[in-house]
Amino acid sequence: MPVPNGLKPSAELVIGLKNNMKLSVKLTLFITGSKLVIVLIFITALPFLVKEIASQYTNYTLKQQKSKVISIVNKKGLDYYLQGDDNYGSYTLLKEEFIAFVPVKEKVNIDTIKDARRIIEGDTLNYRILSHTFRNNSKNYLLEIGKTTNSIERYNKPLQRFALWVLVGLVALSILIDLTFIRVLLRPLTMIIKSKLINRKFPFKKGQKRVPTSTSDFRYLDESLMMLMRQIDEAFDKEREFTSNASHELMTPISILQNKLENLLNDEQTSEASALAVVETMKTVDRLKNITRSLLLISRIENEQFIRNDKVVLRTLFDDIIEEIRHRLEEKDLNILVEIDPGVELHDVNKDLLSQLFFNLIHNAIKFNRDKGTIFIKGFYGEQGRYELTIRDTGIGIPAEDLPFIFDRFRKTNLHSHVGYGLGLAIVKSIALYHQIHINVESRVGEGTAFRLIFDDRKSG
Amino acid sequence: MKVLIVEDEKTLAYEIEAFLKKSFYVCDLAHSFRTGVEQLELNQYDFILIDLSLPDGDGLEILKTAKKSNPEAAYIIITARTHLKDRVSGLDLGADDYLAKPFYLLELQSRMQAIARRKFNINEDRIPMGEFSMDIQKRLIFYGEQQIELSRKEFDLLSYLLLNKNRVLTRVQLCEHIWGSFAGDDYDSNYIDAHIKNIRKKLNAYAGTEWLETVRGVGYRVKK
Repeated sequence: MPVPNGLKPSAELVIGLKNNMKLSVKLTLFITGSKLVIVLIFITALPFLVKEIASQYTNYTLKQQKSKVISIVNKKGLDYYLQGDDNYGSYTLLKEEFIAFVPVKEKVNIDTIKDARRIIEGDTLNYRILSHTFRNNSKNYLLEIGKTTNSIERYNKPLQRFALWVLVGLVALSILIDLTFIRVLLRPLTMIIKSKLINRKFPFKKGQKRVPTSTSDFRYLDESLMMLMRQIDEAFDKEREFTSNASHELMTPISILQNKLENLLNDEQTSEASALAVVETMKTVDRLKNITRSLLLISRIENEQFIRNDKVVLRTLFDDIIEEIRHRLEEKDLNILVEIDPGVELHDVNKDLLSQLFFNLIHNAIKFNRDKGTIFIKGFYGEQGRYELTIRDTGIGIPAEDLPFIFDRFRKTNLHSHVGYGLGLAIVKSIALYHQIHINVESRVGEGTAFRLIFDDRKSG
Repeated sequence: MKVLIVEDEKTLAYEIEAFLKKSFYVCDLAHSFRTGVEQLELNQYDFILIDLSLPDGDGLEILKTAKKSNPEAAYIIITARTHLKDRVSGLDLGADDYLAKPFYLLELQSRMQAIARRKFNINEDRIPMGEFSMDIQKRLIFYGEQQIELSRKEFDLLSYLLLNKNRVLTRVQLCEHIWGSFAGDDYDSNYIDAHIKNIRKKLNAYAGTEWLETVRGVGYRVKK
């Protein structure tokens, strides 16, 4: 998403960036983050876990060994071990394990697994010891099976390391799978944004295609967007049709009015006083006619009824317009300065419409200028090689609060002057839109207004 | 001259007829496609004014058939349809001019005069006005053999007044003829007065201009 331009405070810009993250980036960050947390927890818990498992397993082996010994005793008698002695002890070569039978007093009853120290041939060693008392030949014996704690913990370190590597590998693999899946999953969304939302030109194209997706949410979004676009198009079409029909329908009654008045004026029986009234009425009808014509013009532009294949030498066009309205300049004693290279040519435009656009802007520059004021018209190649044209006056200016509305139909700015019926600039806007001309307006009350027209770079040369 | 007005809007047709009668045109009215075709079969006309949107047919069709029965006539399309397409196809079918509604009857009449001069070879070399004369084709003004320079707009204004002589032309009518779509929206302007003043000044250097009359509060008139 582009960061909105303009002079915004930097703090807001930073928040703006965070708020502008794409869904796929957010999901990726979330997945990676949550997996890292799991890995950390696992790494912290791993030594404890491995130790616990080793300890449990040792206890289990000790118990197994105990049952084996007891079953041997039961089968072959304790003498199998004792061999006539009253006790028995045996240990492995490195004293890692031992087994011992010791006679104990009656009524002693032990069955535990404990860590304890034992001294074997002068070596004091830590053992995990299973102690179990049992009766044999009406004597009470204690069976002890021991295993050094060192031997229990021997595999903890390598086991931990191994488990860690496996984990890291698995996490990496799962992140990879997730990311791929997210991309595949979000592809319809990306396509919906690309095809329906970015760089939309109004009115929307007919025959929008549905984005293929098996995700019901996306399908719903896509269909809703398409429906909304259709509705907007329909509403726009209706408005266009209405404006077109209404202004057409008005033309015939206006014709009749106008022609009746003309005949009345030319009638010998019409008195001088009546003639004056007829002239006044004719002016009013003319006003009505101009408004209706302007509306019709706008609707014809919006219906794309004008052909754009003229080549226009801008300088000549301006000279012609200024010639047409020289009388207005003279009336207000205005100075007009035109700085346009005679070599600048616009192509694929409609000459009549462009002429109307410039006329309306110059007309405004005259109308709202002060006596003996100046109009500056200047053309130049601006940023990115686009042709720019400014029309600046030294007039009354437009208050900042009115600026956003000056192109609206029938919005009357400059209320004090009581002139203008709010369609001149609406026409300018629709012609500019039709020719992909971007318009910027800058104005200072009491100093003047500047209209800057930026042409599509394909149109000038 | 004989004129057929094919226009379904009766009031409008009557107004056109009333205006043209004063200039000694003889008018027939047809309010539908059918009556229009009938009239064309029965009579020969010099001018045929056709409204394109008729209730029972397309005016362009009338134009096609009329071209066969009245090949010598001059055709003017009058319509509220302003599609470029209609205009082009109308002119392609052989219409001599095209007027979009609403138009001033004065404008219609001067277009008819222009067509007549062209089509019927009416060649008044110089139209007299007082002690001056005007060559409309060559856009020149003479005092005797002396040529007088007028600006383009001044000539347009004067020639329009001359072509509609003995009629009072209002400022609005003159504005629309001279500036057309650039007429703008200042209805109380005195641009026309300024131009007239200039014309008088230039001509008065040679002779009087009483024939160019101001009708107070209404407009201007060229008297015979």
